[in-house]
Amino acid sequence: MWNAQKIQEVVESNKIVIFAKGSKMMPMCGFSQHAIALVGRLGKPFEVVNIFDDPNIRPSLIEYSKWPTTPQVFVGGELLGGSDIVEELMNDGELQKKVEAAFAG
Amino acid sequence: MLTVEAVQSMIQKAFPGGRVAVSDMTGTSDHFEVEVVSELFEGKSRLDQHKMIHAAVGDHLGAAIHALKIKTRTP
Repeated sequence: MWNAQKIQEVVESNKIVIFAKGSKMMPMCGFSQHAIALVGRLGKPFEVVNIFDDPNIRPSLIEYSKWPTTPQVFVGGELLGGSDIVEELMNDGELQKKVEAAFAG
Repeated sequence: MLTVEAVQSMIQKAFPGGRVAVSDMTGTSDHFEVEVVSELFEGKSRLDQHKMIHAAVGDHLGAAIHALKIKTRTP
């Protein structure tokens, strides 16, 4: 059963997790696809939760993160944002630093 | 469906004096690209800057607006 507590568990037990429309292999939205591709370039293991797997995932995710759109990228338990922010963070080199820190911890 | 002008006007209201550019990414009036240059972003994280844009379009996000590509900058 998906609820905000389960979202929190998933976020805290994965160094990198993306809540996306569609799966890692088959994204179903250009923004989700873009976020998955960007994170994939980091060469670290990451989890993708397909919000279409269960109707409770999306409302639980929004309740937990207070962020209204998907994809949502979490690194080290912190919500970074959607694909636009992840792209900017990657271009600035900040994403790589956050990921290094998450995997070092 | 929302027009580019409608989205522009909603966001412009939230950022008086700011520069707001909106375009329709797909020609379907539901995927918009937004660029906002405003001093209100000063000192705020990217996450909070995007939240300000989300707030400006309110309940339209996830309804009439399916997707919003956002770029925020300070002047």
